[in-house]
Amino acid sequence: MIVAAAASIDTPSVQIGAILPAAILIVGALVLLIVGSFESRSARVTSGVIGLLSFAGAGLATWHLWNNGDGTAFSGQLSTDRYAALVQAIVCASGVACVLLGWGTRRLSDRIAEYYSLLCFAGAGMCILSAANGFVSLFVALELFSISLYVLCALDVSSEASLESGLKYLITGSVGSAALLFGSGLAYIATGSLRFDQIGTALNSGISHTGILLVGIALVVTGLAFKASAAPFHMWTPDVYEGAPTAVMAFMATATKTIALATLLRVMITAFSPASDVWESAVAAVAIASMLIGNIAALRQTNVKRMLAYSSVGQAGYLLIAVVAHTPLATRAMLYYLTVYAAMNLGALAVVSVREREIGGPVFIGDLRGLGRDHPLLAGGLALSLLSLASFPPTGGFLAKVYLFGSAIDAGKTYLAVIGVIATMISLAYYLRFLLAIYTPAASEARPRIVPGTRLAAVAVLVSAGVVLWLGIAPQPLVEVARTAAASLVPPG
Amino acid sequence: MSGSWTSTLLWLIPLGGALLVVVLPVRDATRGALALIAALATTVLALAAAFDFDPSGGTQFEQSHDWVRDLGLTYHVGMDGLSLVLVALTAVCVPCALGFGLWAKRPNMRAYAALMLLLESAVVLLLVARDLALFYVGFEAMIAPLALLIAVWGGPNRARAAIRFVIYTLVGSLLMLIAVITLGLEAGSFDLAKIGTSDSRWLFLAFMAAFAIKAPLYPFHGWVPDAYRESPPEVAALLSGVVSKAGAYGMLRFALPLFPGPAHDLRRWFVALALVGLLWCSLVAFRQPDSRGVVAYSSIGQMSLIGLGIFVMNDIGATGATFQMVNHGLLTVLLFLLAGVIEVRTGEGLFRRIGALARGRAGLATFVLFAGIATLAVPGSALFASEFLVLLGAFRDWWLIGALASAAIVLAAMYALRWISALLHDAPVDPAPGLSRMRDLRWEATYLLPLVVCVLVLSVYPYAVTHRVALSMHGIVSAVTAKDAP
Repeated sequence: MIVAAAASIDTPSVQIGAILPAAILIVGALVLLIVGSFESRSARVTSGVIGLLSFAGAGLATWHLWNNGDGTAFSGQLSTDRYAALVQAIVCASGVACVLLGWGTRRLSDRIAEYYSLLCFAGAGMCILSAANGFVSLFVALELFSISLYVLCALDVSSEASLESGLKYLITGSVGSAALLFGSGLAYIATGSLRFDQIGTALNSGISHTGILLVGIALVVTGLAFKASAAPFHMWTPDVYEGAPTAVMAFMATATKTIALATLLRVMITAFSPASDVWESAVAAVAIASMLIGNIAALRQTNVKRMLAYSSVGQAGYLLIAVVAHTPLATRAMLYYLTVYAAMNLGALAVVSVREREIGGPVFIGDLRGLGRDHPLLAGGLALSLLSLASFPPTGGFLAKVYLFGSAIDAGKTYLAVIGVIATMISLAYYLRFLLAIYTPAASEARPRIVPGTRLAAVAVLVSAGVVLWLGIAPQPLVEVARTAAASLVPPG
Repeated sequence: MSGSWTSTLLWLIPLGGALLVVVLPVRDATRGALALIAALATTVLALAAAFDFDPSGGTQFEQSHDWVRDLGLTYHVGMDGLSLVLVALTAVCVPCALGFGLWAKRPNMRAYAALMLLLESAVVLLLVARDLALFYVGFEAMIAPLALLIAVWGGPNRARAAIRFVIYTLVGSLLMLIAVITLGLEAGSFDLAKIGTSDSRWLFLAFMAAFAIKAPLYPFHGWVPDAYRESPPEVAALLSGVVSKAGAYGMLRFALPLFPGPAHDLRRWFVALALVGLLWCSLVAFRQPDSRGVVAYSSIGQMSLIGLGIFVMNDIGATGATFQMVNHGLLTVLLFLLAGVIEVRTGEGLFRRIGALARGRAGLATFVLFAGIATLAVPGSALFASEFLVLLGAFRDWWLIGALASAAIVLAAMYALRWISALLHDAPVDPAPGLSRMRDLRWEATYLLPLVVCVLVLSVYPYAVTHRVALSMHGIVSAVTAKDAP
C-alpha cells in the first residue's frame, strides 16, 4: 500500500546542476557552522575565507548556469534561465563584497562564523528565488533568505539598535511574507495553478479578471514590495538599515533589493502580464510614491546609513518603472540598472563601514569631513558612488537612468520618466551635500588611526568604482549580456 | 575606431592631464605646471585644427563608433565651423584661467588643477559631440567640476552660490534629458546625422530651458549673479566666457535644427526676451557696486545680444552671434581676470573701497583701459564688428527691435566707462588696506596678454572667424526659415 502511494507521487528529480550556486552556498554555510563550533583563534580568518570562497565559487557557478541555457528543473518549479543566472551573479558579487566589508568588524568576533554562515544561507535563498517559477518555490526561497536576514540584523546582540533592527525587520518582514502567501493562494484560486507559466497560460486562455485575482496580484506585489522596500511599504527600511551591521545593510540594500525586484518582474511578466491592465497603474503608483517619498525623506537625513536607506527606497521606485513597462527593453534596462545599483551602493557602504570603525559609532555627515584628506582613495570611491547615484555622466548611474527612462518612454509611459527626472533632481540636493562634506576640511588636525579591514574595504571600493566607471563608459558588453538574459524572460519582439 | 582622432584628442588630453595631476606623486608646483602643459597642448591642437579646417567642407575631423547599440547611442564626434571656433575659444581661455589660478596659488592644487582640466574636457566634449546623448554627457559633466570649484575655492557665500548653480542648471538639463531620450528613441538613433526634425513644442521648450538657463537668457539668470560673484575669479571667467557659450551653442546646434517648426513659431518670444534682457541687464550693470558685478551683468546682457542674433534667424544675425560668442568669451575672461587680480591683491572688489589704481601702475591701467574700451564695442574693435552684424540682422526683419537693441551700445559705453573710471581714476571713499601696497602688473601679463593679442587679431581680421562659421550658420538658418515658404 505504501509502495503504491509512493509510486503514485511524482517525485521530482533532483538536478543539483540547476541550483549549483545555491548548493555551493549551502555547503559553505554548513561548513561554517561546523567551524563555528570550534573555539579557535584563527576562526575569524578561517570563516572569512570560507565565506569568501563560497560566494566566489557560487559566482563562478553562475557561469555554468549561463552556459546551460534556458530550461526548467524540479518539475518546473525552477526555471533555470539566463535571467536567473545574471541575477545570481549580482547576488554573489554583492556577497563577496559584503564579506570583505564585514572583515574588520570586531563587534561580531565571537559569532563571526555564524555571521558568515547566515550570509551564505541568505545568498542561497536568493539564488533559488531568482529561478523560482512557482509560488511554492518562491515562498520557500523567500523565507530562507528572510529568516537568515532577521537573525543577521540582530546579530550584534550587545547593541540595542541591532536588536531593534532585527525585531522590526522580523515583524514587518513577516507581514510581507504573509501577504505574499495569501496572495499566491488567491492567485491559485483564480487560475488553478501555482506555477507562473501555467498561470500565464490560464490567464491568456481567457479567464476573466475576477476580483479574487485582482486581490491576489495586489497581495503578491505588496509582499515583494515589502522586501524591495518600495513606498508605502518602506517604513521599516531606515530603522533596520541604521541598526543592522553595515555589512549586513550592504547585503540587504543590494542583494535583497536586486532579488525582490528581479522576482517581481519575473512574476509580473511570466504569470500576470495578460492581466497587465489591472496592475500596471497600481505598480506605477507604488513606483511614483517610492521615487518621491524616498528622495524627499532623504533630504533631511544626516546619518549616512539612513540617507542611503531612503535613497534605496527612491532607487526601488526607479526600478519599478521597468516593472510597469515590462517590455524587453525595460527588462534589459532593469538588469543593467541592478548591476550598476549594486556596484555604487557597495562602493559607498564600504567607505561607510571603514569610517564607522574609525570613529566607533554611526557616521553622520559631519564625520565625513576630512575624509578627502585622511583617505584620498576611499573618498574618491565614495564621491564616485554618490555621483553615480545622482546619475552624473560618465558614471554607470547616468547610463542606467537613460536606459530606464528610455524604456519607460518607449513603452508609452512618459509620465513615469518625467517623475523619475523630477525625483532625480530632488535627489541631487542630498547627494551633493554629502559629496561636499567629503571634501570639506575636518575640524581637527588629528588623523584617525588605521583600522583593520581598511585594505579589504579599499579593494571593494576600487572594484565597485571600476565597475561604475566601466559601465558608464563602455557599457556594450553588459548590454549584450542583459539582452541575452532578458530574452529568456521576454522574447524580444 | 577610424577617422580623425583630432576631435577625440581635444577632450582626451585635458582628461588625461587631470588623471596625471591626481595620480602622480609630485609637488604642488609640478602639478600646476603639468596641468598648464596639458591645457596648452590642447590649445596647440585646437589652433592647428583651426588652420587645418576647410571652411567650405562642412563637418570635419569626424570619428564614429557604437556606444550602446541597444538604444542607438553612438560615439560620434566631429567639428564644423561653429564647433571649431568655440573649441578654439575654450582652448585659449582655459590656460589663461589656469595661469591665474597658479599665480593666485590656489590651495589643494591637486584637486584644483584636476577639476579645471575636467571642466575643459567636458566643455570640449559637448562641443565636438555629434550625438545627442554624448552632448548631454558633456553638458552634465561640466556641472560637478564647476560646483566643486565654486564650493571649495569660492568666496564667503560659496556654498549657497554652488547649490543655486547646481539646482538651476540641473533642472534645465534634466528636462532636456527627457527630450533627448524621447527624440532619440523616436528616431532609433541619437546620432545627429540620423535624427530627423521634430514638431513637438514641448521637446523644443525642454531643450530651450536647459540652454536658456546655461546661457543665461533673461529671465533664467537667477543663479548667475551669485555664481559670478562668489566663485574664484578664474572660474567666473570660465563660467561666463566658455560655459555660457555651451548654452548658445546648444540653441544653434540642437534647438533650431532639430525643431525648425517650433523654433520658427516661437522665435518672436525669444527675440522679445533677449531684447528685454539686453537692455535690463545693461542698465543693472551700470548700477553695480563692485567691479565683478559690472562684468557679470554686462556678460548676461551680451549673452542676450547673442540670443537676439540667433533668434532673428538670418545668416547675418547668426554669423554675428557666433562671432560675438568668441569676442565676448575672450573679453569677459579678460575682464574677470583683471577684476580678480585687483581682488587678490587688495582683497576687495567694492568700488567704494578700491579706485585710483592708475597712479603709478601703468601696466594695470593699460590692460583695464583696453578691456573696457573693447567691451564698449568701440568702432574698429572685434566686438564692434560682431555687434554690428547682430544688429544688422535684427534690422533686416524687425527694424524696431534693431533700433531698440542699438540703445544697448550706449548703455554698454555707460557701464564700461564707469568701470574704467571707478577702477582707475575715482578715489575710493573708504580705501582698502591693501590698496596702496598693490604693485603694478608683472607676471600677471603672462595670462592676460594672450587674450589681448587674440582680441587684437580678431579686430584686425574678423574674417578668420566669420568665414569659418558662415557655412554652418547658413545651414542652420536655412533649415528653419525654409518653414517661411508655404
